[in-house]
Amino acid sequence: MADEITKDTAAQSLEFSTFYVGGALCGINILNIQEINKHFDITRVPQAADHVKGILNLRGRIVTIIDLGAKLGLEPVTENKDNRNIIVNSEDEHIGLLVDAIKDVVSARQDAIEPSPSNIGGVKGKFFQGVLKTDKDLIGILDIDEVLKE
Amino acid sequence: MFEDDETLQMYIEESLEHLGDIESDLLSIEETGENIDLDLVNNVFRAAHSIKGGAGFMGLTTIKELAHHLENALGLIRNHELTPESSRINVLLKGFDELENLLNNIQTSNETDISHHIQDLEKITRSSLPEEKQDMATQRVDIILKDQRIFPRVSLYDLEQCRVEGKNVFLVEYDLITDIHRKGKNPLEVLHSLQKTGTIIDCRIDFDCVGTLNQPLDSFQIPFQVLFASIIEYDMAETLFDISNQYIHAVTDKMTAPSTADQAHAQPAAMQAKEAVAMPDSNAVPPLTTEAPAAQSVPVQNDVPAQDGSPAMKQAAKPAGTSENDIQLGQKSQSSLRVNVGLLDTLMTLAGELVLGRNQLLQGINSANTKATELSSQRIDMITSELQEAIMRTRMQPIANILNKFSRVVRDMSHQLGKSIDLQIIGKEVELDKTILEAINDPLTHLVRNSVDHGIETPMEREQMGKDATGTITLKAFHDAGQVNLIISDNGRGLAPEKIAAAAIAKGLITEQQVAEMSEKAKMELIFLPGFSTASEVTDVSGRGVGMDVVVTNIQSLGGIIELDSTPGQGTDIQIKLPLTLAIIPSQITSVGNERYALPQVNLNELLRIPAAQVKEKIEKVGDAAVVRLRGELLPLLNLAQMLGIEKTFTDPATLEEQRDRRTSLADRRSRKHLTAQEASASEPVAEQEERSGKDRRYRASSAMNIAVVSAGTFKYGLVVDQLHDSEEIVVKPVGRHLKKCSAYAGATIMGDGKVALILDISNLAQTAELAAVSEAGQMARAAEEEARTQKDKAALLTFKNTDTGHFAAPLNLVERIERINTADIERIGGKKVVQYRGGALPLYELSQVADFDPLPEKERQEVIVFKVKDRELGLMVTPPVDTMEVVLDVDETTLKQPAINGSMIINGHTTLLVDIFEMVKALNPEWFAQETRAAADMAQNGEKILLFAEDSAFFRNQVKKYIEDGGFKVIEAEDGRLAWELLKERIDEIDLVVTDLEMPNMDGFELTRRIKNDPRFSHLKVIALTSLASDAHIEKGKSVGIDAYEIKLDREKLIAVIRQYLNLSRK
Repeated sequence: MADEITKDTAAQSLEFSTFYVGGALCGINILNIQEINKHFDITRVPQAADHVKGILNLRGRIVTIIDLGAKLGLEPVTENKDNRNIIVNSEDEHIGLLVDAIKDVVSARQDAIEPSPSNIGGVKGKFFQGVLKTDKDLIGILDIDEVLKE
Repeated sequence: MFEDDETLQMYIEESLEHLGDIESDLLSIEETGENIDLDLVNNVFRAAHSIKGGAGFMGLTTIKELAHHLENALGLIRNHELTPESSRINVLLKGFDELENLLNNIQTSNETDISHHIQDLEKITRSSLPEEKQDMATQRVDIILKDQRIFPRVSLYDLEQCRVEGKNVFLVEYDLITDIHRKGKNPLEVLHSLQKTGTIIDCRIDFDCVGTLNQPLDSFQIPFQVLFASIIEYDMAETLFDISNQYIHAVTDKMTAPSTADQAHAQPAAMQAKEAVAMPDSNAVPPLTTEAPAAQSVPVQNDVPAQDGSPAMKQAAKPAGTSENDIQLGQKSQSSLRVNVGLLDTLMTLAGELVLGRNQLLQGINSANTKATELSSQRIDMITSELQEAIMRTRMQPIANILNKFSRVVRDMSHQLGKSIDLQIIGKEVELDKTILEAINDPLTHLVRNSVDHGIETPMEREQMGKDATGTITLKAFHDAGQVNLIISDNGRGLAPEKIAAAAIAKGLITEQQVAEMSEKAKMELIFLPGFSTASEVTDVSGRGVGMDVVVTNIQSLGGIIELDSTPGQGTDIQIKLPLTLAIIPSQITSVGNERYALPQVNLNELLRIPAAQVKEKIEKVGDAAVVRLRGELLPLLNLAQMLGIEKTFTDPATLEEQRDRRTSLADRRSRKHLTAQEASASEPVAEQEERSGKDRRYRASSAMNIAVVSAGTFKYGLVVDQLHDSEEIVVKPVGRHLKKCSAYAGATIMGDGKVALILDISNLAQTAELAAVSEAGQMARAAEEEARTQKDKAALLTFKNTDTGHFAAPLNLVERIERINTADIERIGGKKVVQYRGGALPLYELSQVADFDPLPEKERQEVIVFKVKDRELGLMVTPPVDTMEVVLDVDETTLKQPAINGSMIINGHTTLLVDIFEMVKALNPEWFAQETRAAADMAQNGEKILLFAEDSAFFRNQVKKYIEDGGFKVIEAEDGRLAWELLKERIDEIDLVVTDLEMPNMDGFELTRRIKNDPRFSHLKVIALTSLASDAHIEKGKSVGIDAYEIKLDREKLIAVIRQYLNLSRK
């Protein structure tokens, strides 16, 4: 513990849960993630914005599910068995992000994250905190607050 | 400052409770004037006193100071030295307000500036004193004990006052450790018990004597000094105070000295105490640092087990500081709630039972014992309901909490406005959910302020109007039908509908034309419109930038209803209905498509189901809007699926067309959007098709239309849904921030199966749909329909089938009843079919006997329509469905004319033949009519009688004319009332009787009759009115213009009988 605190934040090790949405590989800091589930008993909410998939009962709490693909301006998430809801905690509220499929959890040092270009695979740069290059992939690290902004 | 959370918290709560009743008490004191009610004054006095006592102990100097001055003033009132005049009570009220404010912000209280309150109060107290004593009120003295210790800054006036009352003054030194803590008491208790026997003038903790850490433990002490006045003598004091005599000092004049250095004493006492700790006497043996007591409190506790956790210890040891803890504390005090202990016990018991139930359930499930599982599930069901109710009760608060403060509001405002108003509060004990209570506070305040400001007139105006100069405002709360009702009524000037309407027009909120159609009540309700404010000038009293519209919105958002009733010059009543709670609401569950929607029961009026066969007929289209006729009223319809842009689920390809039809007829202004929704879902049709064909058999049921008739405020409409389910109690859950913009929902709830259902916001739905426009369309429809009714005749028909394909109808009024008989019971006698029926033989016929139709197929059971003709019954065998309906008769008399058939018309998309029952009977049983034929022949011999017959419908004109002619009369026809009137004038000599239809263009039957009866040339003529439907209102109207008899158009027999009767031709 004491060691970590003394380390420079730039060298701090971060973990990201990565997933596919609309063909793009994105990541979210796992500290932002409450849980990942596959409940799809979603109640549609007519008149809501297009990217709002609906609402879900998560152990007695009403959780809004956002189609991340649609939100980022990509293809809406198509239904298949790999779909997952990533439940994140934002402004005291649980919100679910529907994604195409979950991939690995990757670790990276804070300083390995590069500033994001203005556009990543058709997604506006403002949605990203930065990009992380691994051996094989380029992972866009999502800025949850920006994504969930009204 | 004082740090013990619990004690401080207790003190705050207790003090606030004391303050709770003070306001009304003070107002009562003001009312009684010089003849004060001692009990009331004592009440307030004691409250101020207790607050002061506690504050002194806690080091809340500002509070103590203020409470002390309040107490002084009250003491004077109590002793009749001061009359409670309005202005003085004002100062007291403001003082107590400030006191409450200080208590609510306890952490900053010592820094609050209260000097102007103190000045005002001192002015009051001083004014009552004789000259020489006036100084005393502000003068301070120190009490010097024998060991030279000082009890600083005691009000000389207080001491004097006590002496005057014949009391002895003691300075009692308790030791917080030995005298209080070790005896299992707490300081507040001690103060309370002292108050029972005397007056506490002041109290403080003497930090100078706390001692130092290197002192021996047994000499460790924290003196808590109380300056106490009582009639008890010194020798008795020991027993009273329960401490050794050496700590009780009788205070004598010699011991007091004028307070030195007044400047320093401007600082409150506790500050001094704090300083004393901060700057310990340099003589004390090893000196302590400032923080020492606080920092050392833990080790002290460890070393001295007896002192461990002593609240007194901690209190004394931590002299100052504002930590985060304190801030939290301040917040905590606002959200705590007092709950009845009995209720808590109930909750405990229920929790116990719930655990028991759970154990039973688990056992039952583990052992797969269905019976046991069922039993325990029932039990849990029951316990849950009780638990829910009990928990809800803990949230219930008496409405008095908010109603009481209105006495003050009304008093202050009426003073300001120079009005005299009496406020009556009824039903203080009514309880409401805490959240609702808080939420109605503002709307209620607004309404009360309105009543005071705009409602009640000035005393002069009132007297001029012959009213009592004092106006009355009544606040009344009561339970009714599971709701809480609140009525705010005043006997003021009331609302002037015309003025309101004019103002609304001037502000461009509505048009003059709209106003012209409004009732008085509707005009008054205009004040609920956004942007409306009648006050010609915005006063600072009620013009606070909030309009009545905000009040309405607030109340509606609570699921409440507001109603207005006013009589100009007499007063205004505003009634508010509120649900008891918001957290759990009874709702009607409906569904559209695959989703369920909850509809709050409070908005629901009734449920309607229109069978598929009647959809076309009952749903009408006015402009773009669909309406349904409900008990004579036109109700605008909103299609929920369409509103929300959901594709409806079809169940049968055959109905697809019909559904589409209905859709167009239901389409509102948003139809274009709807179309895109349809297009959007075009990708799904294949799946849907399959689903449809699979449910073929349910076609009839599922294509019926389900309507929930709902109302919210001024809106009332029918919400078309796919299905209606059960009514359930649902728990309202808030939805996330991404859905806040969807105004159609009031929240969401979790259903029994774990899925989420949205709760509909009825009022917002109506607004989204621009329903005002829809209801306008409804009115247009009504007008259009009124016109249509005068043009066309409606008749009640019985529809049936002959074989499966042929549709028929007959006038309903000839039908006696409908029977179903066993075919085996039919007997054939003399070539005729009869069935034994009610002790006689009922002849049976079928249509194929009189006209060219297919004979009925052989069946086991047979439906028979029983008609009554010529006082005899006969049965017509038919094929079901047999149904009744009211239709506009638009009969084609030529195309399909046959024997016994009047003609044809389209009913529900089928060409339907109208059966002429008389013709049929005549063809089958000519002998029944023999008598009539003879009578007709007689009449021809005796000279023919001539009737004038006015009727606009060609069908009826021909039909009725034929009946009458068959009866042996001659008929002069007229196509409407005006023509009839012209004919009558020309041929008055010939005409013996007038038969007229009522609803005709140009001149209706009523007008025609009126003219006939008012003209001496014609008034001898009898007038028989023919109508398709005789309503009571019609008959009443008819009688008033002089109509002699009413007959139903297709009831040929009666008509002839009445004509004969009026022409004095009895049947021979």
